[in-house]
Amino acid sequence: MKKVIVIPAAILILILVAFATMGAYRVPTLVVEFVEKRPAVVESVEYTVDGLTCRGKSRGFAGMISGVEGVVSLTTYVRSNTAIVEYDPTLTDPVEIETAFEGPIVHEDEEYFLFKAKK
Amino acid sequence: MRLLRTIVQTLFLAGVVAVLVRGMMGLTTSTCETYCPFAGLVALYPLLRFNTYTCAMNEFHVALFVSLVALTLVTKKSFCSWVCPLGTVQEWIGKASREVFGRYVRPPVAVDRILLNLKYVVLVLVLGLTWTVWQGDLGFRAYDPFYIIFTGFRGHETLSFSIFIGIGVLVAAFFVPMVFCRYLCPLSAVMDPMSRAGFLRLRRNPGRCTDCGICDEACPQGIPVATADEVTARDCTNCLECVEVCPEKGALELTLFGK
Ligand code: SF4
Ligand code: SF4
Repeated sequence: MKKVIVIPAAILILILVAFATMGAYRVPTLVVEFVEKRPAVVESVEYTVDGLTCRGKSRGFAGMISGVEGVVSLTTYVRSNTAIVEYDPTLTDPVEIETAFEGPIVHEDEEYFLFKAKK
Repeated sequence: MRLLRTIVQTLFLAGVVAVLVRGMMGLTTSTCETYCPFAGLVALYPLLRFNTYTCAMNEFHVALFVSLVALTLVTKKSFCSWVCPLGTVQEWIGKASREVFGRYVRPPVAVDRILLNLKYVVLVLVLGLTWTVWQGDLGFRAYDPFYIIFTGFRGHETLSFSIFIGIGVLVAAFFVPMVFCRYLCPLSAVMDPMSRAGFLRLRRNPGRCTDCGICDEACPQGIPVATADEVTARDCTNCLECVEVCPEKGALELTLFGK
């Protein structure tokens, strides 16, 4: 009955394998293009955002930065709470974008905050 | 042997409860779903078709699902009786019931046979609806006892009737051993073909076995061990309860690749 050890050993090894391989590739949760025509110069900024945990939240995040003039695209990776924003540097900058998504949501006279950039 | 398994089960159960408690204290945004291999399967279709993830699914879930497939190929459904916290809770409830009634209460074999196929219907429904009508939204959460119970009945998609499903499954497990695993769990349905192939399986040695039938009585999955030469049943979780109770040394042995 020594073979029973195969079971916990296989469980342990396969969990370690899962942890080790999950970083091997990365697929975005949400990709949004905000403009039809990309400007000549585009820069990008990467934020780690508290609260950016799923596709729905990614959409909310897209909504909040969509009003900023000069925002070109958004790509989110929820496993690492990452948002990569491309923008036109002649029209906006990372601080303005951050202010936009950190702003409060107002719903039925209640104010709450969904996102906060981790520094 | 049983001690080893109980330790492993307790560790995983404690892990999920720890995630729940830390979540309630606001220390983590992880939930029981963060570590769910079924999510990896649900993620596959949008991943392959659109190269994106829906909901909170990510590479870790896919990796967990692949690992689970490998685990099941090697050790049958050991996930159910060694890892899955919902399996653990049901098993313990079933054992409590056995203490009360003196044996496992089981539905008649004919009924059991039919009910065993229900989980395939659940699987098709869950995947089908998620991938079409619900557009990747995890609409089944409100019906998923794992989600309901291990979010402490407070998950954000728990509906008012969900609490009845959660408690219902726990109560039902008292009257039908492993009721959710056997009849309803979509992950259990996915594992079936791999489990049949499972390389690590029990073999009964007819020379040593006295046909006492004690093993049949002890199996939480209701598998007829005493009449099998080799336990190839898809539902065998390698919990080894049958070996534990067998009075004849060497009558039941684990074999790996038939050796
Ligand atoms: S046959 Fe034995 S090892 Fe398999 S599920 Fe039943 S009791 Fe557990
Ligand atoms: S408990 Fe052991 S001796 Fe009895 S029927 Fe099962 S395998 Fe044979």
